[in-house]
Amino acid sequence: MSDCQGLGDCDDTRMQRIYEYLDGALTREDITEIKNHLDDCPECTEQYDLECVIRNMVKRSCTEAAPDNLKNAILDRIHAIRPVEA
Amino acid sequence: MRKVLDGTRQAGPVAVDKLSAEPPEYGTARRGSLTVDLKAMSTLDPAVAAMYEASPGEVNSRAGAAPLSAGPAGPESLAADADTEDGALDVAAETVEQRRLRFERDAMQYVDQLYSAAMRMARNPSDAEDLVQEAYTKAFSAFHQYKPGTNLKAWLYRILTNTYINLYRKRQREPLQSNSDSIEDWQLARAESHTSSGLRSAEAEALDHLPDSDVKRALQDIPEEFRLAVYFADVEGFAYKEISDIMNTPIGTVMSRLHRGRRMLRDMLAEYAAERGFKTAADTSDAAGSKAQEKRK
Repeated sequence: MSDCQGLGDCDDTRMQRIYEYLDGALTREDITEIKNHLDDCPECTEQYDLECVIRNMVKRSCTEAAPDNLKNAILDRIHAIRPVEA
Repeated sequence: MRKVLDGTRQAGPVAVDKLSAEPPEYGTARRGSLTVDLKAMSTLDPAVAAMYEASPGEVNSRAGAAPLSAGPAGPESLAADADTEDGALDVAAETVEQRRLRFERDAMQYVDQLYSAAMRMARNPSDAEDLVQEAYTKAFSAFHQYKPGTNLKAWLYRILTNTYINLYRKRQREPLQSNSDSIEDWQLARAESHTSSGLRSAEAEALDHLPDSDVKRALQDIPEEFRLAVYFADVEGFAYKEISDIMNTPIGTVMSRLHRGRRMLRDMLAEYAAERGFKTAADTSDAAGSKAQEKRK
């Protein structure tokens, strides 16, 4: 997909680096290296941006509030197994 | 080429030795405590499951037996302060009532989050509620085995995931959603179109306009183990090691699930965007090239 080899010699390697970068799984040196590379490489930046967008979408879409009664139902069950002597 | 971690200068909380599936040295302590507790928890599962079938009276006596016999129940232990700094909390000396209060204080704050995750597992609100209820009941029953100061949220997620796998999915009698071979084929097929079309900034914009329902649908459409890994990482921000504990798989497996899951998700979303007529990868590579040039500036 790209001629850039700054983050690895194949697309998979490049994406893996971007994932690790986003996941906070890199050393300080690696982070600096990737940051510098992203500053210079629009192709990798585009991939990086896209991953950020998707990540935010997933986060936004999947954040749901539990139904009102759920918390009470849980508490009821927890109280039901409370020993009498406690 | 990649750099190898030397294990001395990690910037983030989640440094991972990329050349090995083993966790890095520095993480041993946390991993140790979390893993041990979770293992202990999972051995309790059958007993906990049995409790559901027991009468209320039986449940009470069983739940009461463990903590009371576990430590001295003298005046000092009764006076134990439940608000003590978590690390110093003497769980063995805690009364059941104190434990219940601590559970309500510390664990109940994650109900929304566990429910959201359960929705990615169970697929409908009613089953997701059941799943969360079961998980919380189990978690409370095993709470004396949770080690204060370790990652409570990850511990709860582990129980939720186990509950889903052990109880819910069995009940559903659903076949496992995927096997490795079909994934490989699927991936190869997808990878080809992915490479040929490419993804551009316009795509990012188009994807961003997809409704939440499309994102949920795309997630549901990718195989479960990939979906959950992506969910744990992207929504909850769990580190690889934490996901590996929650899903009970090696870190290397977590990383490959994340990698493939994200690729699948991305391709799926691009497809949905195209179906909706959002302009994405249909433009020429010339356009992308000039865009890239502009950006370079």
